[in-house]
Parts: sequence; C-alpha cells; structure tokens
Amino acid sequence: MRKRLASGVAAALAAAALLPSSAAAHGLVGKQDLPIPRWLFAWAATVVLVVSFVALAALWPRPRLERVEERRVLSVPLVLEVLCGALGVAAFAVTVWAGFEGTQTATANLMPTVVYVIFWVAIPFSTLLLGNLFAAFNPWRAVARAAGWLFARGRRGGETPAPLTYPAWLGRWPAALGILFFAWVELVYVNRDDPTILAIMALLYAGTQLVGMTLYGVEPWTRNADAFAVYFRMFSMLSPLHWRDRTLYVRPVLGGAPRLDAGAGTVPMLCVMIGTVSFDGLSQGALWTGNGAIAPELQQRFINLGFSGEVALEIAFTIGLLFMVGLVSGVYRLGVIGMHSVRTSHSTEELSRRFVHSLIPISLAYVVAHYFSLLTYQGQAMAYLVSDPLGNGSNVFGTATATIDYNLIGPNGVWYVQVAALVLGHACGLTLAHDRALVVYDRVRDATRSQYWMLAVMVAFTSLGLWLLSAAAQ
Amino acid sequence: MIAPPFAHLGHWYHSLLYLAPVLIVVVVLWVQERRERRRGGEGEE
Repeated sequence: MRKRLASGVAAALAAAALLPSSAAAHGLVGKQDLPIPRWLFAWAATVVLVVSFVALAALWPRPRLERVEERRVLSVPLVLEVLCGALGVAAFAVTVWAGFEGTQTATANLMPTVVYVIFWVAIPFSTLLLGNLFAAFNPWRAVARAAGWLFARGRRGGETPAPLTYPAWLGRWPAALGILFFAWVELVYVNRDDPTILAIMALLYAGTQLVGMTLYGVEPWTRNADAFAVYFRMFSMLSPLHWRDRTLYVRPVLGGAPRLDAGAGTVPMLCVMIGTVSFDGLSQGALWTGNGAIAPELQQRFINLGFSGEVALEIAFTIGLLFMVGLVSGVYRLGVIGMHSVRTSHSTEELSRRFVHSLIPISLAYVVAHYFSLLTYQGQAMAYLVSDPLGNGSNVFGTATATIDYNLIGPNGVWYVQVAALVLGHACGLTLAHDRALVVYDRVRDATRSQYWMLAVMVAFTSLGLWLLSAAAQ
Repeated sequence: MIAPPFAHLGHWYHSLLYLAPVLIVVVVLWVQERRERRRGGEGEE
C-alpha cells in the first residue's frame, strides 16, 4: 500500500513538473539576460521551501493563525456603500455599452481590456492590499440589493417572501464551473476578444446572478455561486484588511484564510483557479503549440474525425484545459492521501477540505506570476480607453493619446517578480498548512510528519510554475 | 498519429532540470517518513 502510494506520488509529481513548457500566456516578456540559468531558480526555490518547512517545524509549535484577533479601524456610512454600488453598476453599463456600440477592434475597445486585465487581474491584485472591495462595487449584487430594498418598501412593512435555502450539496460548484467557463472563453474560445460577444456574455452572467439571488437570497448566492465574488473573496482572505458590515478591520496577513468554510465545491474551485492559470502557461509553450507539439497533433486528429480546423483546435485546447485542472487536483489529492497515511482517523475527504485554504496563496502566486507583465503593460491601455471607450476617436478625459510604456519594467525585473511571487506564495501555503496541521493532529510530531506531503505538493507546484514561466520566456 | 514524446526530446529534455528537485524532495521525504514510522513503533495509530 505504502509502496503504491509512494510510486503514485512520484509519478504524479513527475508528470506535474514535466508536462509544461511555457508561461506568460498573456504576459509580455522580452528577452531576459539572467546571471544564472532559469532552472537554477527552481532549485533555489526548493531550498527556500525546505528551509521554511524546517523553520516552521522548529519555531512554530502552536497554531497562530486559526483564531486571530481583528481590530476595528473605521466604519463607513451607508451612503458610501450605496455610492460604491452605483459606481459598479455604472462601470458595468459603460463597459457593456462599449462592447455593443464601439469598434470591434479588440485593442481599441474598452470591453476586452476591462474584462481580461482589470476585472480578471487587477482586482485580485488589489484585494490582497485592500481587502474585498469588489463586494461593495459588485454590480449585480448592488442591483439585487436595491431591488430587494424597493420591493420591501413597496410592501410597506408587509411580509416579503423568504428566499429558498441554498442547497449545501451545491456549495461552490457553480462558482467552480463559472471560473472554468470563463477560463475556457479566455483561453480556448476563438472569438474571445470579440467585444460584442463579451458584452452579451457579461449580460447573461449578470442576469443569471440576479435570478440566483432572487431565489436564494443575495448573500448566500454571492458567497457560494457568484463565480467572481467567490474568486475575489478567496484572495481577500489573505489580506490584512477585512471589510464586514461597512466596517474595516485589520488582522495579520493570512489570518483570514483559516476561516474559509470549505463546503462542497471549494476544493474543485481552488483546483480550477490554479489549473486554468497553469494551462494558460502551458498553451504558450513549445510543448503545446510548437512544431509537432501536442495541440497541432490533437487538432489534426479531430480534423480527421470530420471537425473543422477551428472547432478541432477548440476541442484540443479544451482537453488541455481540463487536463491541467485534473493534474492540479491529482497532485493535491496525492498530498492529502499522504497526510491520511500518517493517521488514518482523519478521512481523506476531511483532510482535503481542512487543508484546502493553503491553496489560496498558491493560486494568487500563480496569478501574480503569470499576469504581472500583462497588468503592468496592458493595464496602461486604460489611460486611453477610458477617454475613448468606443474607439471612435473621442477624448472624454483628455488622455486618448496616451501610450503604453514598455520600458516601465525590464524583462529581468518581470522575471524576479514572478519568482518572488511563486516562492512567497508557496511559503505562505506551507505556513497555512502547518498551522492547520497543529490543530488537526494531537501531537506536533504527527503534524510535522503530515506536512512532509504538503511540502512535496508545494515544491511540485513551485517547479511547475517556474517551468511554465521559463518556457514562455524562451 | 501523435508523435512519441522522445521524437522531440531536444525540445523538452531541459525540463528534467525542473523535475529533479521535486523528485529529490519526494524521495528524501519518503525515506524520512519510513524511518519515523519504524521509530514510532508498530502499535501506534
């Protein structure tokens, strides 16, 4: 049994680090001139993680993050919350309007940049520093709350029908599938940059959220099923700032993550978050797209089955996307099975849920490493897009002639940020897992032994991330 | 037909350098875990 487990772990980790190739799918990386080979960074990162593991085992004998104290800093008036919601709705409306009415050239229309750079990348970055501000600006939540308020007011104190109970078995599965679908659009769908199609999708998404909130209540739906609200809220759990009921609290960094209620669908959600970004990297590398690589070969197979070239390519990429999500899930699962072998009184299902919050910093590390250059460069496009959202030559704020400065940060600087993000993110994941192990296991020795497996998982994810990044930079 | 991976060995052999630390860590931890199990005794659960 143990032999089988060990060989299984080795095989999965081997596959994890072998599969890939590239990275900054949507990143813009110039030629780097590094003092040492890129692969040495993976070795150095491994050393850092092993040293962190030893330090945690020796210097962190009691849980410190499970019950952190939050200190109240300030409260904001209701009117400010209403204003934020209104701003969110206005921004959503302008973006959708630009998608329909503006030029259909992706780089000149506000819609694609807002969706793929601001919404998908800038908000996760900002939540780490500022907490979950998206909750205040969430347009569909604002509309649902306003509608609920108007409805209650219209009934003049009469009873409003109670929402249905959100099914526990459904949990965060809708959010996981929502993020998977968004990633599919971003990475697989051939018309991903079409502003009109993006606008239609945005409206459909908002409509779905409104229906869900009407049925199950605004907060239960937002906490579980609104894919982006769940996505941003998870990242905000790492932040030292915590917004709750219009009040700002401060807490230690990482202190919010142990509070993650890991109900149904939470593990798949985090595996989707990491796996989709991993595929973004893989899909840019020579192993996937080069001469004689996997994607063209797969595409040819589906063409031979009678599909058009375009559809065959989408099928090939869909397989790759699902494969990477499955790979990440498999590596995490093996780590959990390893932990289970230390003390079998905890089921693998229980361990899987209790340690899943340690994947949050890894997911954020992948996002930062993968999209940092995209945000740095393409984020500047917002300067001219806000002045000319339709791409028709208008200049509302006088910034329509702004340009992107590609010298803002050099290729080496981008690489160092990426490496630092990956190492720091995985060290944070190790810390969270170690802290939780001290609660799950009675004895420190068992807790440390259980974390051997999580260390292996963290090293595998770090090497995978660096491998993806290095392949993209070549 | 999909080309066997070894046909493109030149494209990805350097990837083994990223795999090596993972394998080393797994092997070392596995050996350490076995040692600790032995030290911990059979009756422990």
